[in-house]
Amino acid sequence: MAESDNQLLDRYAAGDESAFEELVRRHQKTIYDLAYRMLENHADAADLAQRTFVQAFLHVQSFRRESSFRTWLFQIGLNLCRNTLRNRARVAHENADEVPLVASQDTFATAANAELRDRLGHAIRALPERQRQALVLRVYHDHAFAEIGTIMSCSEGTAKANYHHAVHRLRRVLVVGEESV
Amino acid sequence: MTCHEVNERAVPYLELDLDPSLVRDVTAHLEGCTDCRAEMEAVRQVLVRLKGRTVPDPGEQFWEEFPDQVRRRLAQAQGEGTPLKQPSRRFRSWNGLSLRSWSMALAASVMLLVGAWLLAGLIEPRNEGPVLREQTVAQAPTGQVPVEQLDEPSVNHDRPDLIEEDWPGDWEDDPDTILVEMASSLDRRTVDRLFEDI
Repeated sequence: MAESDNQLLDRYAAGDESAFEELVRRHQKTIYDLAYRMLENHADAADLAQRTFVQAFLHVQSFRRESSFRTWLFQIGLNLCRNTLRNRARVAHENADEVPLVASQDTFATAANAELRDRLGHAIRALPERQRQALVLRVYHDHAFAEIGTIMSCSEGTAKANYHHAVHRLRRVLVVGEESV
Repeated sequence: MTCHEVNERAVPYLELDLDPSLVRDVTAHLEGCTDCRAEMEAVRQVLVRLKGRTVPDPGEQFWEEFPDQVRRRLAQAQGEGTPLKQPSRRFRSWNGLSLRSWSMALAASVMLLVGAWLLAGLIEPRNEGPVLREQTVAQAPTGQVPVEQLDEPSVNHDRPDLIEEDWPGDWEDDPDTILVEMASSLDRRTVDRLFEDI
């Protein structure tokens, strides 16, 4: 029978290096998946997933085990995602002046093709941050709303509302997009 | 139930996360409302498409190296060039210490005791204490010239406050004295080696 995360944490605290590796291997795909769905490119997702584990083990003494280790990793990962997305938005805003006012015909064509290929992806990226978080946690990680509330530091009802708003917003965007094609 | 209420409950209805009585109401409404059926189908399509979105697998090598990457960055974050620092290191028991640390600590303790002992001998008033009645060359622990047999107050560099009869009791009661004895029996080469470690 596989050891629980808490048992592995105990072994890690006792100086067992193999427990560290087991914990990382156990959750690495889940955290990378979360990061990729939030940031949508491999380099950023890999970096963020690694940073999530680094932060977790740096502050492992402050993990009070009131939630699962997995939930705690999600909390850290989402906080880091939030910071990364804000930095991106800041950089995009600062560089806005450098963008040419008149885009070339090729630029429009490329953008249009990309949008056709992944309209849903664009719609997800355009979601408000909290709605997107709730959507990712619910759809791709099968969390219960109570757990989503714990991860997002909000009530179960708020988590549920964020998720429902996200789905309805996507539905509206997709209908408008399909009608305009 | 109105169309708006049905629309609001579309997601939990599709996810089977709705109270059974509400499920019955929504189902009953859908049977008689084409618009709401279409809307429900549209929401279902969104959920299906969302579920269908996959994340590209970065490959086996990436996963294989992932823990080491984390370990390196963790060591870096902890400000060490060495691999993972264990958080419990400070809680380790004595057997976690190396033999070298033990020998250095023991040597330092012995030398401190010897120093303190010699210093105590130097500052002790020489005209006080009991008279040492007998002392031979063989009994002189440091190999110094023995104090002659005297009836006058003794200048004993070892324990001027003790007469010979008191030695056995003192010896058993004071463990530090054992260390002093051990230190005094060390030859020059051993002492040099201990200092070399320090």
